[in-house]
Amino acid sequence: MNYEIVCGIETHIELATKTKIFCGCTTEFGGEPNTHCCPVCTGQPGSLPILNQKVVEYAIKAGLALNCKINTKSHMDRKNYVYPDLPKAYQISQYDEPLCEKGYIELDSGKRIGITRIHIEEDAGKLIHENGYTYIDYNRSGVPLIEIVSEPDISSAEEAKEYAEKLQLIMRYIGISDCKMQEGSMRCDVNLSLRKPGDPRFGVRTEIKNINSLSFIQKAVMAEAERQADILDAGGTIVQQTMRYDEGTNSTTPMRDKENSDDYRYFPDPDILRFSIDDEKVEEIRTSLPELPFDKLKRYVNVLGLPEATAKQISRYRKVAEFFEGALAEGASVKNTANLIVGTIFSNMDTEEEKELFAVRISAAQFAALVKLADEKKINIGFAQSTLQKMLESGKPVEEFIKPEDLVGISNEELESLCKEAVDANPKAVADVRSGKDKAINMLFGYIMKKTGGKADIRKAEVLLRKLIGQ
Amino acid sequence: MTISKTEIEKLAKLAKLSFSEEELERFTAEFDEIIAFADTINQSIEGGTEQIRNVGARMVSFDDLRTDEVVPSLPNEKILSNVEGYNGFFSVERSKK
Repeated sequence: MNYEIVCGIETHIELATKTKIFCGCTTEFGGEPNTHCCPVCTGQPGSLPILNQKVVEYAIKAGLALNCKINTKSHMDRKNYVYPDLPKAYQISQYDEPLCEKGYIELDSGKRIGITRIHIEEDAGKLIHENGYTYIDYNRSGVPLIEIVSEPDISSAEEAKEYAEKLQLIMRYIGISDCKMQEGSMRCDVNLSLRKPGDPRFGVRTEIKNINSLSFIQKAVMAEAERQADILDAGGTIVQQTMRYDEGTNSTTPMRDKENSDDYRYFPDPDILRFSIDDEKVEEIRTSLPELPFDKLKRYVNVLGLPEATAKQISRYRKVAEFFEGALAEGASVKNTANLIVGTIFSNMDTEEEKELFAVRISAAQFAALVKLADEKKINIGFAQSTLQKMLESGKPVEEFIKPEDLVGISNEELESLCKEAVDANPKAVADVRSGKDKAINMLFGYIMKKTGGKADIRKAEVLLRKLIGQ
Repeated sequence: MTISKTEIEKLAKLAKLSFSEEELERFTAEFDEIIAFADTINQSIEGGTEQIRNVGARMVSFDDLRTDEVVPSLPNEKILSNVEGYNGFFSVERSKK
């Protein structure tokens, strides 16, 4: 392709507050239609919206985590458009005084994707179109959102995906949203245009609406870039319009003519007072932020000496990272702690969601007690793994499974006689090892582990076995 | 400031309203009067409407915003009491256009 991709992403994220942005109705997902509603969120005349403090706090958290400047004075605007998902025929949003501005997200390559602004606004209701009727549920109406607008700094499909992925990770980490794209608590709109390399001017852009998975972002960018390139190559011009990405055909198709932003006729909402946040409060929120995943990753690799792959797996989930750090604080070793989490605990968790929730039945301290036994070589790592599995299943502490007599391991004499026994009992395996099928030695390991309940030091056993077999 | 008939037409379209030619003429004249009234207020304030927003409007501080505590919502019957509902939903017949 002879064009350069110029792409920016607008991301809507539902905030995990208990109540809606302007009223005390619950934000709980689901529920019977129109049961989480009141005069404010159904736009009854005379009702007055009152801004939720937590929404402002969460938006500031997002801003700080994305390196933004926080506007300590801000106000709400009305964005006017008529559609039945908006009971008031306007959405309360922010126009010229967003809460946060001018931040960035750093990609792995070191390239920074600018964040233009973050503003707060209310979500709309849900519509069901059926049999010539539209059925409206306003339970979601008034659920708080932040909209994060990036600069058009993204120049490939991969960067688009990485940007969204990092954004999701950070928002989850700071605990302001679960960012589930499939359930709509994170939604991305992608703006995209093409230009000849080196051309300072932007081409005509299109917007791809409501992409609901990270991999679709990448695919949608590729599909739309190809579509635009085909048009430009054929000497055509791009029409500014809203597109839909269809994952079935992996293509983008036009949705409706894009309205100019002027048509929204923004003006300050006279029902809601302008608000101010003092610098002290901003600092207080800043100090409440956890260490962010990329900072953790760097520290795990550079200070703790973890391999990058392991460090990534642990730092990716805030609760896992906390569990890991909790065990280290109890004196467990970095290596064994990390390996047992990634090797054993994660093997019980199939989905991202389970790792995100990290609902383990033992505490970090109980986990550390087990790891330390392995650190001090009182048990071998295999036995630690099987014991950990039992602890996870039962929620019981290590003392329930490891008796004092287990701790010494088994004596060299015992191990030697066991190895002899293993060799005598498995003549075929021994012959196989001798003939070069080295994997057959696993049969002998299995025999010894079974006899000792997993307590034997397998490295020692291997030396003894190889001596006996004559290798 | 005056408003043109085209602008009224545009606003009507955005509001999804349709007017007869006679109504459009009338509204254009009425809108002009409303805007003239607002202009009069505006001129009486030094610095114009920006000034009203910046100085006249009270500010609320972060601490005085609403705390995030759930209060009971209204029962569904109450929410739907002024409209035609269907199975707990608001229901609207889709327009032909």
